[in-house]
Amino acid sequence: MAQKQILELTVNGDLYEIACEPNITLLEALREKALLTGTKRGCDLGACGACTVLLDGEAVLACLTLALEAQDREVTTIEGLARNGEMTPLQQAFVDYGAIQCGFCSPGFIMSATAMLADDPSPSQQEIRRRLAGNLCRCTGYAKILKAVEAVVEARARVSAPAGGAL
Amino acid sequence: MKQLNVVGRRLPQHDAAAKAMGQAQFTDDLRLPGMLYGRLVRSTIPHGNILHIDTSAALALPGVKGVLTGKDIPDRVYGIVPKAKDEHALARDKVRYIGDEVAAVVAVDPETAEEAARLVRVEYEELPAVFDPLEAIKEGAPVIHDRHPDNTSVRIHKQFGDVEAGFAASAYVFEDSFYSQAVNHAPLEPHAALASYDPQHGDFTIWTSTQIPYFLKRNLATTMGVPENKVRVIKPKVGGGFGQKLDMFAKDFCACWFARELSRPVKFVYEREEVFQNTRQRHPMYLTVKTGVNKQGKILAQHITAHADGGAYNSTAPLMITLSAFFVMIPYKIDNLIYEGYHVYTNKPVGGAMRGHGVPQPRFAIERQVDLIAKRIGVDPVKMRLLNAIKAGEPHPAGFVINTCGFAESVAAAAEAIGWEEKRGKLPFGRGIGVAGSAWPSGVANMAHLSSGAVVELFREGRVNVLSGAADIGQGAETVICQIVAERLGVPLEDVHITAADTGTCPLDAGTFGSGVTVRAGNAALSAANDVRDQLFPFVADHLHCDLEDLAAADRRIFVKGEPERGMSLKEALKEYQYSDQPVPIVGRGAWVPPADQPTDLLTENGNFAPNYSFMTQAAEVEVDTDTGKVRVLRMVTAHDCGQPINPMLVEGQLDGSMVGGMGQALYEDSTCIDGQQHNPSFLDYGFPTVLEMPNMQDIHIDTDDPLGPFGAKEAGEGTQLAPAPAIVNAIADAIGVEFDRLPVTPAMVLEALKKKADVEKADVPEEGGV
Amino acid sequence: MRLPKFDYHQPTTIEEAVAALAGSPGARLLAGGTDLLVNMKLRVDLPQTLVGLDRIPGLRGSTQADGRTVMGAKTTLKDIQNDPVLLERYPALVQAARAVGSYRHQTMGTLGGNLCQNTRCRFFNQSQEWRSVRSLCYKAGGEDCHVMNKKGVCYSTYSGDVAPALLVLDARVRLQGPDGGREIPLAEIYSGEGKSPLALGPSEVVTAVVLPENSANGRSCYLKQGLRGSIDFPIVGAAVARFDGGLRVAYTAVDRSPVRAAEVEAELEGRELTGELIDKVAPLCRKAATVTRTTTQPVPYKRELMAALFRKAARTLV
Repeated sequence: MAQKQILELTVNGDLYEIACEPNITLLEALREKALLTGTKRGCDLGACGACTVLLDGEAVLACLTLALEAQDREVTTIEGLARNGEMTPLQQAFVDYGAIQCGFCSPGFIMSATAMLADDPSPSQQEIRRRLAGNLCRCTGYAKILKAVEAVVEARARVSAPAGGAL
Repeated sequence: MKQLNVVGRRLPQHDAAAKAMGQAQFTDDLRLPGMLYGRLVRSTIPHGNILHIDTSAALALPGVKGVLTGKDIPDRVYGIVPKAKDEHALARDKVRYIGDEVAAVVAVDPETAEEAARLVRVEYEELPAVFDPLEAIKEGAPVIHDRHPDNTSVRIHKQFGDVEAGFAASAYVFEDSFYSQAVNHAPLEPHAALASYDPQHGDFTIWTSTQIPYFLKRNLATTMGVPENKVRVIKPKVGGGFGQKLDMFAKDFCACWFARELSRPVKFVYEREEVFQNTRQRHPMYLTVKTGVNKQGKILAQHITAHADGGAYNSTAPLMITLSAFFVMIPYKIDNLIYEGYHVYTNKPVGGAMRGHGVPQPRFAIERQVDLIAKRIGVDPVKMRLLNAIKAGEPHPAGFVINTCGFAESVAAAAEAIGWEEKRGKLPFGRGIGVAGSAWPSGVANMAHLSSGAVVELFREGRVNVLSGAADIGQGAETVICQIVAERLGVPLEDVHITAADTGTCPLDAGTFGSGVTVRAGNAALSAANDVRDQLFPFVADHLHCDLEDLAAADRRIFVKGEPERGMSLKEALKEYQYSDQPVPIVGRGAWVPPADQPTDLLTENGNFAPNYSFMTQAAEVEVDTDTGKVRVLRMVTAHDCGQPINPMLVEGQLDGSMVGGMGQALYEDSTCIDGQQHNPSFLDYGFPTVLEMPNMQDIHIDTDDPLGPFGAKEAGEGTQLAPAPAIVNAIADAIGVEFDRLPVTPAMVLEALKKKADVEKADVPEEGGV
Repeated sequence: MRLPKFDYHQPTTIEEAVAALAGSPGARLLAGGTDLLVNMKLRVDLPQTLVGLDRIPGLRGSTQADGRTVMGAKTTLKDIQNDPVLLERYPALVQAARAVGSYRHQTMGTLGGNLCQNTRCRFFNQSQEWRSVRSLCYKAGGEDCHVMNKKGVCYSTYSGDVAPALLVLDARVRLQGPDGGREIPLAEIYSGEGKSPLALGPSEVVTAVVLPENSANGRSCYLKQGLRGSIDFPIVGAAVARFDGGLRVAYTAVDRSPVRAAEVEAELEGRELTGELIDKVAPLCRKAATVTRTTTQPVPYKRELMAALFRKAARTLV
């Protein structure tokens, strides 16, 4: 059983060819094979959200996704958000509002919030809480994370331009 | 008011963007060529002798490079406190709790290491075990360490004033008992270590998630049997610590050991379950508090008895119990006090430092009892706190020197913000408010390393490099240190670069514990920046034909105070300086040692424990669902005297985090240990609060200006973890009239208490408190 | 924690999936992965073969026809919450989908996977290392039940949120097996046993869930009590639906399968639903299940919650 196969993984627009057995998770493929370590391993059992990445735009837990399931799909990690070296407004808000302390949960939070805002550009505070509640943070008490996300939502509402850029 | 440009401003952490972009490197993100992966084998019994370890199956697994057992390593114990060392990196003869490390394996990949660890067979002779400290101290209980036949590894008996006379003079004396549970720090980053070895020089380098690189260096050298100068500890980014990463762990030792044995780099990363069960937790504690008060509620005497459940090893035991004893001496002025404390071994996960280190437990007990007493004698709990509040400059029974103290102001401010007058006792059934107070030292100063050093180098192009031993674990220590240096040298924060927490390049530092970093390492950096000024500014004064004292620095310029146009840019000054006859680098050296009247022996001496003390009062409003027993914290207020904050945004982040952490302690978190095994060692089952539980939070700054803190600063964020839990439980009492005496207050407990209360009321019997 | 080794098939049709299951004994279906992969990491589930459903088209989304709503097994819990028709007709279903784990689990987790999730116990849902402290439990392949201190029994608890909601709504499930398809009431896929909680045939796949269009006329409610508002499994979950002439009540996290509270339903049959009546029959709810100490929550508390959640949920339908 379980022969190695060549997995073709597209991450942040780059193609990675990874020799692996079926039991490798997307998290392991990203961190150990593609050497993209921005995605964090906090519990490995799907209960902290630190490993959240986008799979065809949908936020998923990389620790509970087989790497093989990600084949032929677009994977986006925290390293793939910035454009031309510029952080997205959401990343910038996390920096400016003090939403980052130790920073270990930040990539997962930012990926979850990125997916949320792509789905729903103007979520209520309660909806932001509900959608981010699968991401644990032990440092900030969440207040400044919530504030950073709300600031982006408000800024978007002010710029009434319908054609929003990448978040 | 001071005119400051960088200090006192709300600035993002200097590495926030790297963290936001996934570039920040934590230990598990590092990799070295040829790296191997380690895994620990852990005891499956709570107490017993190791008879035999069969490693043959593990060694036979393809890809396995080595197996190590306790018999293979030097018989050298380690621990945080020199006199209380009792732990081997791998157990030699005996295991003392489920999860005790008995062997380590190393393999070519993590998967093989995990499989190999499962193939190690250990044969034990099981011994009777004991899981409760009150059982463990009884005659005939199983002995966990031969050195302590009564299982009490540390005892402290502190007496101040005349307690008997105090009780005799009291109008009322009350005695109440409390229990505080095991809480896990649960930092998001699991503990990890990566070690490499240079065979030519015999040098080890270890990258590890630690809060105290210098302690670790010493512990590693001692246990490995190599000179200290052969070990270099580097702290990469650390994903939260809260005290759990103070100690050395088996992963540190084993990574170094295998790196030398195999001449290849070796990495160990703990599973989340290991973080829960096999690192450290807040000590569960049984407390009895006997307090005498006069008719108005003034505390005349207090006698506290505490039994801390230490688990299988000491870790910080003597320090923990000392802090527990001393810091019940603030924020109230208690002239007559006895604290009797015991650190007791049990066959359970190990207690260690955790945010508030030994004090959240007695703080819970005392703050609950203040409310109970206030109710019993008919005084207002806020007034009772104000009546007993300690004040700056008062003589202190334990010898503390309190230069600044905003405690009374914090009580008043928190009470006003939560709506004390309008709401206390006046909200509908199920809603209530409560307050609690606390205080905390800025750094505990009575340890071996009690100083911090710093180096500040000024380069010709205006770049400033700082070397500091301080360990940033996410709280923003590096940013605060850079702000202090930037302020002093008159440059923006972006010009200051820091290399920190690398024992191979940075000066000595006490590490991150006891909330000492800002004051200790901050003052060291300030002194190094002053040294830079002392070298450069006389030259500039000559150049500008002005008095040295008249010079100021801001916006990358040095100028005469009040005459900003009379000056020169920093770059110009440096160019002139180095093109003149002084082409030497400008390197400032600094150090800071807290004032010298601290006690030097943990258990016996008294004295001023810290350079300064922060004070805070917290208030909570709760809503109890009387159908399901669920308590929701609606609002929390922290009124906080941390002197002059160096970075108010980072201070707020500390307060928010400690309020939610305290709420977890009050309502959600309990490392449930049954027969020596934790039954909820996961983020799924150990339910620390999510953003859905976060209450509305408000921070109030109480302004003081401390003479010893850098730019007037004191600690922030550790003391604020102490009072949220009692404030919440006090609010629950206001909401439903039930007085809880143990943590956490679970929905099941609330519902049961409500049912009992209803039964009692039905039976028309006069109500007795739940305590 | 690494996944154990396994063979992986990615069939592109249901028939292929059924054949793959039939061709490798002990093979398991992989849908969202939020239950199965965790159990595999913990090594309480060690299938030799995984049959992934991710490449099979047509199993996702809901359609209305012939007075029935048909929801594909791969419909995610997030899809369910975003479907306005489902919200209008079956509020309990949408509330249950919103109550599952965290929003991440709702994004990944599927309807079929949620219904077919394994039962849970504090002695079972632990790592191999954790479990090695005592003998292998009956469910994990040994003999002993550490909850009951008995041999050959298992009281592991069904804890899915969606099943009770669908039970009170009269859901049926469509199955596809080697011998063709069939449609049975949802309750029949649960064996009531802790060790093997599903009563499906060896190679049967749940392909869809079917609901009557007017089930409970849009009057239903699911309430979950967890320790936290997210991530957790329910301590207790309760669903109620109001039909003409009666109320249906079902629970999760209290027994080896999701359970209907038959005695309570009988008591309410044909009577006008009032707050008073609800309070009066609520104590009966405590007896609707065999509650055991499979979590760290005390059994009496779970029984009280059964009554409390019934009161709260039923009151929304008065």
